[in-house]
Amino acid sequence: MIRLSGIRKSFGRQEVLKGIDLHVGKGEVVAILGPSGSGKTTLLRCINYLEKPGEGEIRIGDQALDARRAGKKDVHALRRRSAMVFQQYNLFSHKTALENVMEGLVVVKKMSKDEARKRGIALLEKVGLGAKLDAYPSRLSGGQQQRVGIARALALEPEVILFDEPTSALDPELVGEVLAVIRRIAKEGITMIIVTHEMGFAQDVANRVVFMDEGVIVEEGPPAQLFGNPKEERTRQFLKRLTPEASYTI
Amino acid sequence: MKLDPSFIWTAFVGLLPAIPTTLILTLVSVTCGFVIGTGTALARMYRIPVLAQIASGYVTFIRGTPMLVHLLLIYFSLPLLIDALSAQFDLGWNSAKVPMIAFAFVSFSITAGAYMSEVVRSGLMAIDRGQMEAALSVGMTVPQAIRRIVFPQAVAAALPNLTNSVIGMLHGSTLAFTVSVVDLNAKAQIVASTNWKYFEAYLAAAIIFWGLTIAIERIAAAIERRISLYSRGGVA
Amino acid sequence: MEYGFDITYIFDFIPKLLQVLHLTLAIVAGAIGIGLIVGLLAALPRLYKVPVLQRLSQVYTSFFRGTPILIQLFLFYYGLPELLKLVYIDVTKLPVLFFVIVTFGLNAGATISEIIRAAVTAVDRGQVEAAYSVGMSGYQAFARIVLPQAIAIAVPVFANLVIAMLKETSLAFALGVMELTGKAQTLGTLTRHFMETYIALAIIYLAVSFTLERILLLFERKLQRHMRRDAADAERRWRLWRGRKPMRERSPEVSGKEVPRYEA
Repeated sequence: MIRLSGIRKSFGRQEVLKGIDLHVGKGEVVAILGPSGSGKTTLLRCINYLEKPGEGEIRIGDQALDARRAGKKDVHALRRRSAMVFQQYNLFSHKTALENVMEGLVVVKKMSKDEARKRGIALLEKVGLGAKLDAYPSRLSGGQQQRVGIARALALEPEVILFDEPTSALDPELVGEVLAVIRRIAKEGITMIIVTHEMGFAQDVANRVVFMDEGVIVEEGPPAQLFGNPKEERTRQFLKRLTPEASYTI
Repeated sequence: MKLDPSFIWTAFVGLLPAIPTTLILTLVSVTCGFVIGTGTALARMYRIPVLAQIASGYVTFIRGTPMLVHLLLIYFSLPLLIDALSAQFDLGWNSAKVPMIAFAFVSFSITAGAYMSEVVRSGLMAIDRGQMEAALSVGMTVPQAIRRIVFPQAVAAALPNLTNSVIGMLHGSTLAFTVSVVDLNAKAQIVASTNWKYFEAYLAAAIIFWGLTIAIERIAAAIERRISLYSRGGVA
Repeated sequence: MEYGFDITYIFDFIPKLLQVLHLTLAIVAGAIGIGLIVGLLAALPRLYKVPVLQRLSQVYTSFFRGTPILIQLFLFYYGLPELLKLVYIDVTKLPVLFFVIVTFGLNAGATISEIIRAAVTAVDRGQVEAAYSVGMSGYQAFARIVLPQAIAIAVPVFANLVIAMLKETSLAFALGVMELTGKAQTLGTLTRHFMETYIALAIIYLAVSFTLERILLLFERKLQRHMRRDAADAERRWRLWRGRKPMRERSPEVSGKEVPRYEA
């Protein structure tokens, strides 16, 4: 269970997040949509504390953290409850696929190497990369790298996995394989928050869709409702712009 | 022997007359080195038969041996060569008449040439082929394209390495004392030995070199700002 | 010059000079050893922007890179005993070699701190974020993720430094150290065959720098194996390495602009 209350964040004078409240239940898959610059990626990074929010409270499970009084230990404890899948994959470039998955287990979770290796192999097989265990990231395609990234996040058994536009750096023909993996793990009841541009995917995989614009949550609801019958004008405008062909039919 | 701060100033003033010698050594070696280096780089890049092999042998030799060894080799071989030539063609030359600083000029230029060839080469290789094609495509002639597009980019790319080479030669010029040229370093030794205050004298020399180095870096930075406005704010 | 050039002297001098090769190598090894420690210590305050220390480290690197190493040698040889006398340490009886190694070490440290700084900066920011996202602490992220990658990026430039150091050890003769160059000058004076001694000397330097370059290239290959795009490319480079002698180029990740090395 994740609860964000009153999250604010500014870069210089520009306020990117203007008091975000969001609740995500256990096993829920939430997709965050919005135009670029709406603050959706910043929000996600705040949950993992890669961005330090100006104010607000982040709670993951029984670990709560007030941004104004956060010590190093709290940050560390909070981070260990979430894992991130990055837009640019960010695999450790000097480690093989398997070592990437093992790294957090051995260093952070203090698991024995043998055990970590077993878990790593199982997870890489699960994302379809059983044959690439010893490959360095520089020799993997974008899609393969991102699947390693997902395995690395899964390995830590976090309470939530955060996906930051996981397919937007990929060539179109590689998007499918990554989405398929995310879809599969969504069915396993893992809590996920996904920032994405893939409307069809969001509609398909999410239990709930959140639409953000200019640093606030404009509207949220089940995908059928938000896509089929949006209440807010801004949401409607955004969805219309994404499907322009419909409006130009003669 | 005690530290004498006031002598640092005395030494500083005493060293000033040697600055021109150091600067001339640097200037000559850098200029001649640049010419030699450009020729060497072009010979290697265009794979001119024989010349290219000689060029790469030259660069390998110079970069694999200390600058001091180059100086000593020149100092002992050049007179033999001059006297031999003179005897052969009855030119009436005499190696004893050659001023000492000439050996430093020749040797330092040969050293600088090898390092400069790498500077020139990397500068030329940094230019994207597409730039030339784009210049031609907007209707420029080849000389126009080289002058307006290729050359400024090559200089911008080579400038940091060029600055390093200039500073390297400035520092390297201290070797001139081995052939009795009175540069800053040799002067420091003279000033020091007359008063037996070595530390103070070398400290003064160090401060002058430090100042000269910083000045060269500043000038290079100013030039770089002027010519590479286009690349500002990039990700590279 | 009544002594004519005689090539046999060259072969005669090479083994004589080789007797002192260990001294030259000891200076290089000592300098690099000290340089690595000092360089890391000097780089850290600047990487982490520690107020006063950062400034000190800046002055240190600027001074050692802004003055000729020959001047530094004299400065330390004459100045260090004076300075240490102020804190009641007597070093006047230490061998000259000690001063030479300390000076070369501090000189190398200045360059190494710049190399480390540039290499660490060259590591992608996303790597640190990924380390944090799997729960690593700041120290773990630096030691396990950033540093190994930075080292791999830095090897080629570091190799250049080692070769430059080898050449600069020739300046130790100015303080009367009997390393390769000092020994060569003695031999020259003794036999009056200067040309031959210096040719022998050049051959030895050339051979040593060539060998060092090869050894360092092996390290580079090992440390950068994760950077290679594909196996075929690696294989080709391996063959190139064995078959030809490539002139070392700076790695593209760390341009000369970031890590200048003044050669002498």
